[in-house]
Amino acid sequence: MNRRGFLAGGGGAALLAGLTAGVPAAMSITGAAAQTSDAHTRIVIAGAGAAGLAMASRLRRGMPRATITVIDAKKEHHFQPGFTLVGAGLWSPGHVTERNADYMPRGVEWIEEAVAEFDPDADSVTTASGRKVAYDFLIVATGLTLDYAAIEGMDASLIGKDGIASIYAGPEAAAASAAAIDRFLETGGVGLFGRPAGEMKCAGAPLKITFIADDKARRQSRRGAVELVYNAHGPAVFAVPPVNDKVKEMFSARDVAVNYGHVLKAIDPGAKRATYRTEGGDVTLPYDFIHVVPPMRAPDAVRASPLPWREGALAADGWVEADKPTLRHPRYANVFSVGDIAGVPRGKTAASVKWQVPVVADNLIAETAGRTPTATYNGYTSCPMVTGYGKAMLIEFDYDGTLTPSFPFIDPLKELWVSWLIEEKGLLGAYRAMLRGRA
Amino acid sequence: MSDFNPVTLFFILSEGMGGWLWLLLAAGLLLLGGIVFGLSRLRRAGRPAKRPLIAATVMGTVATIVFTILAPRWTLTDTGAFASALDVAAAVMLALVPGVMVAALVFTMASLRCASRHKPAATLVAG
Repeated sequence: MNRRGFLAGGGGAALLAGLTAGVPAAMSITGAAAQTSDAHTRIVIAGAGAAGLAMASRLRRGMPRATITVIDAKKEHHFQPGFTLVGAGLWSPGHVTERNADYMPRGVEWIEEAVAEFDPDADSVTTASGRKVAYDFLIVATGLTLDYAAIEGMDASLIGKDGIASIYAGPEAAAASAAAIDRFLETGGVGLFGRPAGEMKCAGAPLKITFIADDKARRQSRRGAVELVYNAHGPAVFAVPPVNDKVKEMFSARDVAVNYGHVLKAIDPGAKRATYRTEGGDVTLPYDFIHVVPPMRAPDAVRASPLPWREGALAADGWVEADKPTLRHPRYANVFSVGDIAGVPRGKTAASVKWQVPVVADNLIAETAGRTPTATYNGYTSCPMVTGYGKAMLIEFDYDGTLTPSFPFIDPLKELWVSWLIEEKGLLGAYRAMLRGRA
Repeated sequence: MSDFNPVTLFFILSEGMGGWLWLLLAAGLLLLGGIVFGLSRLRRAGRPAKRPLIAATVMGTVATIVFTILAPRWTLTDTGAFASALDVAAAVMLALVPGVMVAALVFTMASLRCASRHKPAATLVAG
């Protein structure tokens, strides 16, 4: 960390400390007090992303005699909430890239392979090399798959070329997206934004990148040269009504046009035309810049297993069936899911992970120690909605879409620098502490 | 936020700042030691702490104002991002960290200077 980083990190952390010092117990999560279990239990955690690492850290401390195995081939770890700031051209890819090894707790076995098969009937998983790992409890934390191929003509390799951007595909793609935005602002024209129809991680990100493009254009006195269009997948731009109203009002004030019921179906990079599925049939729109957000699905190994929902809105994309308050699988009582893969509404953010993991960990510890599990998760998630350079709205809500602000003095629907400060300086430290099971 | 306790906050600070947290704490302890040392020298010299306190307050206030203005730059933006009194209050809170450190440093230096310029009468007679 350089001197500037020190000042920023120190200042941000100090503010966070100050802000949180007087915070009341605003969360509706009720958790058992931290306790331990001496059970000699075999626990397998499939996935070493945010949820998997945070779970491994918590269980390692809470279950000192358990055998804990993490299975994941991925060695890099990405601070995904920072992808928006990389896409804004503020952060470098290195700022959001770390190593899983640095967060893997001691005493946890890490099998550096992908999970190829889940067999909950036999209480085992099989790795890509064919190794079978048996468990007493399984935590599914595989994350999700970005399905760019579901958009005809689209491929992740196109990001950064021909006016195509997508901050979701990784830090480098986010940086390439920032460059694509810059080129678009230089040349001018039509910029298209939007989101897929299904469940997705960080549903605020497509809105954030729209706001960023708008603000950047204004700062460069190029707003008159660009036309910005947000293609909402449904009848609203955001699922939570008060947030939807606010964003619509802001889009209107900033001259961002909105098309409702438009889902990106195909893209023709050569002709720069995007085709959207609408209720009235396919609609093709020309563009000079497009921010593509791919449909998101469960990884193949999960989809091919008996774990996903078998019916309902969450079945098609293979999300793991889960009881909303406990995240326990209704058909396999020794299986839990956390993070993006959990088949619960609205729970695909790092903020959700932060509150899901302690609930599952506390309940698992209680259960293996012979106590009654009592912790529940209320669906809390958070979206620090960046609305421009230096401004954000700190939006937090639960399963019901009820706003649940953690800081009573911060208006969640007001653009504030202090919310930006939390996004830009406070979250990374909190995220890392979460990975270590300390926040 | 039910588990936002001092331990959690410490880990967040530690993860956010890395080794700089310990340097900052060490600097804080050093400055605290400087204040105590300065006070003891003033006491021995029989001098009041009024002038060092005024100097520290003035310089600390100036530093806090300067860092309040600079605070948005730490977050890769500018003072135009301030949208409410809460934003300014947050920036002041941030700026108080270097402001207090500057004040502590100025107090220490001013105390030592003040004490050394005014030797106790007994010492002067003896000299």
